[in-house]
Amino acid sequence: MDGGMSYQRFPKVKIREMKDDMVKFELRETDASVANALRRVMIAEVPTVAIDLVEIEVNSSVLNDEFIAHRLGLIPLTSDRAMSMRFSRDCDACDGDGQCEFCSVEFHLRAKCLTDQTLDVTSKDLYSSDHTVVPVEFSDPNDPGEQRGIIIVKLRRGQELRLRAIARKGIGKDHAKWSPAATVTFMYEPMIRINEDLMDTLSLEEKRTWIESSPTKVFDLDPVTQQVVVVEPELYTYDDEVIKKADAMGKSGLVEIEAKEDSFIFTVESTGAIKASQLVLNAIEILKQKLDAVRLSDDTVEADDQFGELGAHLRGG
Amino acid sequence: MGEKKDSLEDPTKQNQHVGKQLPDNPDIDMQFLSAPIKSAVDKYQLVPEFLKVRGLVKQHLDSFNYFVNIGIKKIVRANDRIESSLDPSVYVRFKNVRIGKPSVPSDGVDDEICPQFCRLSDMTYAAPILVNVEYNTQGNNPQKTRFEKNDVTIGRMPIMLRSCCCVLYGKDEAELARLGECPLDPGGYFVIKGTEKVMLIQEQLSKNRIIIDSDKKGNINASVTSSTEDRKSKTVILMEKGKMYLHLNMFSEKIPIMVVMKAMGMESDQEVVQMVGRDPRYSAVLLPSIEECANKGIFTKQQALEYLDPKAKRTYASASEKGALPVLRDMFLANVPVRQGSFRAKCIYVAVMLRRVIDAFLNKDTMDDKDYVGNKRLELSGQLISLLFEDLFKTMIDNVKKKMDEIMGKPSRSSRFDPAPYLCGDSITNGLERTLSTGNFNVKRFRMDRKGMTQVLARLSFIAAMGHMTRISPQFEKSRKVSGPRALQPSQWGMLCPCDTPEGEACGLVKNLALMTHVTTDEEEGPLISLCYYLGVEDLELLSGEELHTPNSFLVIFNGLILGKHRRPQHFAATMRKLRRAGKIGEFVSVYVNEKQCCVYVASDGGRVCRPLVIADKGISRIKEHHMKELLAGVRTFDSFLQDGLIEYLDVNEENNALIALYEGEATTETTHIEIEPFTILGVCAGLIPFPHHNQSPRNTYQCAMGKQAMGNIAYNQLRRMDTLLYLLVYPQRPLLTTKTIELVGYDKLGAGQNATVAVMSYSGYDIEDAIVMNKSSLDRGFGRCIVMKRYSAVLQKYENDTQDRILRPDRKGYGAKHMRILDDDGIASPGEIISPQDIYINKQSPAVTRGTRVPPSELPNIGYKSSKQTFKGPEGESCVVDRVALYNDRHNNLSIKFLIRHTRRPEVGDKFSSRHGQKGVCGTIIQQEDFPFSERGICPDLIMNPHGFPSRMTVGKMIELLGGKAGVSCGRFHYGSAFGEPSGHADTVEAMSEILVNKGFSYNGKDFLYSGITGCPLQAYIFMGPIYYQKLKHMVLDKMHARADGPRVLLTRQPTEGRARNGGLRVGEMERDCLIAYGASMLIFERLMISSDPFEVQVCRICGLLGYYNHHLKTGICSSCKKRDGMSTMKLPYACKLLIQELQSMNIVPRLKLAEA
Repeated sequence: MDGGMSYQRFPKVKIREMKDDMVKFELRETDASVANALRRVMIAEVPTVAIDLVEIEVNSSVLNDEFIAHRLGLIPLTSDRAMSMRFSRDCDACDGDGQCEFCSVEFHLRAKCLTDQTLDVTSKDLYSSDHTVVPVEFSDPNDPGEQRGIIIVKLRRGQELRLRAIARKGIGKDHAKWSPAATVTFMYEPMIRINEDLMDTLSLEEKRTWIESSPTKVFDLDPVTQQVVVVEPELYTYDDEVIKKADAMGKSGLVEIEAKEDSFIFTVESTGAIKASQLVLNAIEILKQKLDAVRLSDDTVEADDQFGELGAHLRGG
Repeated sequence: MGEKKDSLEDPTKQNQHVGKQLPDNPDIDMQFLSAPIKSAVDKYQLVPEFLKVRGLVKQHLDSFNYFVNIGIKKIVRANDRIESSLDPSVYVRFKNVRIGKPSVPSDGVDDEICPQFCRLSDMTYAAPILVNVEYNTQGNNPQKTRFEKNDVTIGRMPIMLRSCCCVLYGKDEAELARLGECPLDPGGYFVIKGTEKVMLIQEQLSKNRIIIDSDKKGNINASVTSSTEDRKSKTVILMEKGKMYLHLNMFSEKIPIMVVMKAMGMESDQEVVQMVGRDPRYSAVLLPSIEECANKGIFTKQQALEYLDPKAKRTYASASEKGALPVLRDMFLANVPVRQGSFRAKCIYVAVMLRRVIDAFLNKDTMDDKDYVGNKRLELSGQLISLLFEDLFKTMIDNVKKKMDEIMGKPSRSSRFDPAPYLCGDSITNGLERTLSTGNFNVKRFRMDRKGMTQVLARLSFIAAMGHMTRISPQFEKSRKVSGPRALQPSQWGMLCPCDTPEGEACGLVKNLALMTHVTTDEEEGPLISLCYYLGVEDLELLSGEELHTPNSFLVIFNGLILGKHRRPQHFAATMRKLRRAGKIGEFVSVYVNEKQCCVYVASDGGRVCRPLVIADKGISRIKEHHMKELLAGVRTFDSFLQDGLIEYLDVNEENNALIALYEGEATTETTHIEIEPFTILGVCAGLIPFPHHNQSPRNTYQCAMGKQAMGNIAYNQLRRMDTLLYLLVYPQRPLLTTKTIELVGYDKLGAGQNATVAVMSYSGYDIEDAIVMNKSSLDRGFGRCIVMKRYSAVLQKYENDTQDRILRPDRKGYGAKHMRILDDDGIASPGEIISPQDIYINKQSPAVTRGTRVPPSELPNIGYKSSKQTFKGPEGESCVVDRVALYNDRHNNLSIKFLIRHTRRPEVGDKFSSRHGQKGVCGTIIQQEDFPFSERGICPDLIMNPHGFPSRMTVGKMIELLGGKAGVSCGRFHYGSAFGEPSGHADTVEAMSEILVNKGFSYNGKDFLYSGITGCPLQAYIFMGPIYYQKLKHMVLDKMHARADGPRVLLTRQPTEGRARNGGLRVGEMERDCLIAYGASMLIFERLMISSDPFEVQVCRICGLLGYYNHHLKTGICSSCKKRDGMSTMKLPYACKLLIQELQSMNIVPRLKLAEA
């Protein structure tokens, strides 16, 4: 940064792969704090809808009421509407008792086993009062055609489960059931430089053993030139194995590996509550709102106390 | 050669190591190659097969079955006739006895019952003891007066679950499920009044064996604890100041042994010396004893008896004969029979004892070790119940006899005497039930008075129950400060678990059986004795004293009884063993040649511990590959291995004659046996530990204690049970790293823990001193979540005046309705309702008057009642749920109600967790997932453990578990970590695990590159991270946290109460007080010890120094001794002090207070 006057940077995002439940993207020209903030917000602060209140009418299953309520809570519900919903604690329409359309969705479940075969009660048996908030589609990866639903409880002949559940908006910080993220992680992009001169001093066998020393397939032998090439730098797990191997072979400095401090490769997997891409966007949105909240706090003295130099910086621009 | 091996091996086995043993170097060792192939047959399959046949609690079941099938019949046969002492022709004779089906009498008919029913309705699971009787009631009347009655119930015998009398016997899983029973439950316990009672295995010193020991003064003695059906005695031959004496309780003082010999007819000193041994050393040691006897002037039998007669105690039972001879005949060495007045057998026995004492005197090495397992016998429930039954049966017979005489004695007998009602009394039923439920064995007839013989079966976890069934309770009192009995005995190998023992006072005394141990039951002696004679044992009766100890001839001792001698002991032993292997004699008969003592010991008595071993001929295992294939195919069973002489049971003594190779490959030509599997030296509890052979030994011991406190699943019927306290895990898992024992025991089906992803690193500072940091999201998702169920019960009592408790409809309105919210209209809490503290769960009322005259039924509605509602006292601020309510009739036919109240808890700070390696720790803090470290794969640990837990504990097994668990999850196969399992393929090697890890892209060492969740920067070090099976232990803060500002006080001293249950205070004890004194915080001491405790204002008379009182009318203090009101001072002192002063005064001590101005 020239002069240190401005911390402002313009991070770049490049999407590598995008599926409904998974996104892989590069985040460049920023530092770990921003990347980590994004990660943390995705895990803990992006709101979703999840079952929060269960009223059990009949439960003659083997699992007890709390057990079933806990399981219901963990079922991901489609939460595209969550960003626009209200938290039931600050919902004016219903005094926060969580019974209104702005902050809650009602579910019903009625299941009774009448045959000798075990009946699986799944998330598909949950009937929602709102078609936009339903249990997520779940299919067996081995048998993608059939929608199976998430098993809640199994019933045998004569057992019955009847309940009413209310789903509310919430964030992962309060309970993991509201977290839309299954996996959010990032890594520094590695920069791998092979010292070609030194590499040439190795015999073919040595090259092979050196390549083998990495638990992940980062390097390979070019079939034509018999030269060691970096095939997949991102598979490198910063395990230092190749460097140690090189040292052990007496060829220190055979390879130089550095983490690029300003570029990150994100992997985001969602639970299905919202699309992974939406998860990223929502996270950015929330991060922005949080920063706005800091910036807009009028009481400068308080802001100074709270944020010190950063507060002054925010005010000064 | 490698190929050859592979072709021999079953492809399913992982015996790759065998191939790897081949040297890789090019210059091949020719000798190695030409050596015979020792194909390592995988004998593991024998272990499950053994357990299928014998089961984990087979010792209990066998013992009980023996009693029920044989023991009880013997007892009844021995006492089968009750005769009237007035008219011997009037008699009752028991012809047969058997145990019926478990049932309960109701309205004169027996209803069949099952154990689960008994547990739920607080009944005893018992079966009738049925006898066929024949009786004659009329004396010598010509009429036909002999009657027979079949199946008369003389009492009810509590039935051991899964024994041959139990309804569960031989049932398959579906049938067990129908009876409400868990198929994994081992049985072997009793259900007495609804509680499950285990009769612990009792460890005792061998009966009827000579044991050479030295007493406190260093005197050598030989002792025999004789025990026959009707007599018990302890005979000690002691060597004091070079002379031999006899100690026997029936003699008032110690008696020179030569006098005893002479009294038994051994008048010739020469013969005694000959019997002891011709070696001049023996006669030299014996000389002072002979001289002493001669000095007393005792030379003949008559003189000896005259000397002894006054010393024999009068208390001796058979009062008809007096003097020393009956004592010598019946009590002295009671196990050696006297036939036709010939004491010769006893004399020889004494001679052998003397010889061994002298041996020990000449060479201290020949002393016996009391702690040696071969000198011990385990007493099991069958034997104990048999004693109890015999006592009760004899008492019953005495009573019947008394009744008979009473009736016969009456001059005019109106009705015919019928013995049946006297036989059907409750004395046997009640006696058995009381003894089993209290555990206090007080059998005067056998001079037995032992407490705590039965215990309530620990149902805290499945493993706790299993561990309880294999526990052995010691004979010594725990207070003894000796290390000998506590030390690990080499002879415990394979018989008793080296790890599983409690810490603290019972350490090393309480032991546990190993996995494959069997405890023998008694076997018929007669045929074995005659067999011994057939095999060339020269009868004792025919031997002269001289011949007894001729060189190269060995004494043959059968169950402690000297049978005779044999000239070719090895041949004799080999023949016996051959017969045993051929199944001609019992498989548990042991033959042991003791070269040092020149004896062959043959044992068939009950209570010996033994274990199966593979027989090897000149080091070559008899079990070949095809045998194991047949076993797998189901053609063979464990028993057929026994019958075919491939396997045999060895007891501890016979093990001394065997050379046992651990593995087939290690066998040499001298090897006689090969171990089946090395991990079977451990017991059930230690078997859960993965890689225990990599841990520091005490860690395994700690885990054995902690595994019993782990929460999980208890049994398949856990939700049908009504235990007083039940801890369950919401999501129990099967350990990722299993052992063979786990599969054998069923821990994989009833686990008690969860596979947590553990990162070994320092985090936050809340992880010092073994505390662990937990991930909040993991807890949200159900990690460590548990259910605590507590039972509350209520009884609708019936009273003597025909009144009864009643339940009322709840108030729906008005005062108190708030706390009756959860009641149904019938006044009983309804299942599924949320119950909070102070809620009423039963709206009960009791009659105001319960004693006195009977209230006629018409008056019943008019009597007064007082409320006896029962309120729930649970943890404040927590909501519990009424899980189940059960109604049943108790034994007194009162309606009883059991409430099961459930509380689901998630882990909180302070809850205790532990891995399977004796590494316990409390939850130090709970941290949000986003703050937790993460790897680039997105793996985030469930908990963080501080690495300082490793260096001093040296639990390498835990590290290997982590590695194996990580390899397991990444390749999708459960890995094994059985003890000593690497050579046999029952434990995966670290190399194999590392290879999998590398294949799956992890580092070979299990370390991962992690990023800090707080900053997003990489962590400084690689973090050792992977799954470890964690147990949640039953200690939870919620049950322990306690604080008090103000609260109840003790009535007597007015000081705060003690203990959490009474909302007590925390005591500032002497040491705390000392600290404050040292520091000089006098006001703090004053405040703690008086102001906050029991301040009291007293009036003290300055004149006499005694305490006075305050007169409220005159508003002044008055001294009661001076009768004056002036000179009174008011002061504060602890109430306890005032109490002390008054108590001293009551003892005529006058404590006077001298006051000075402060």
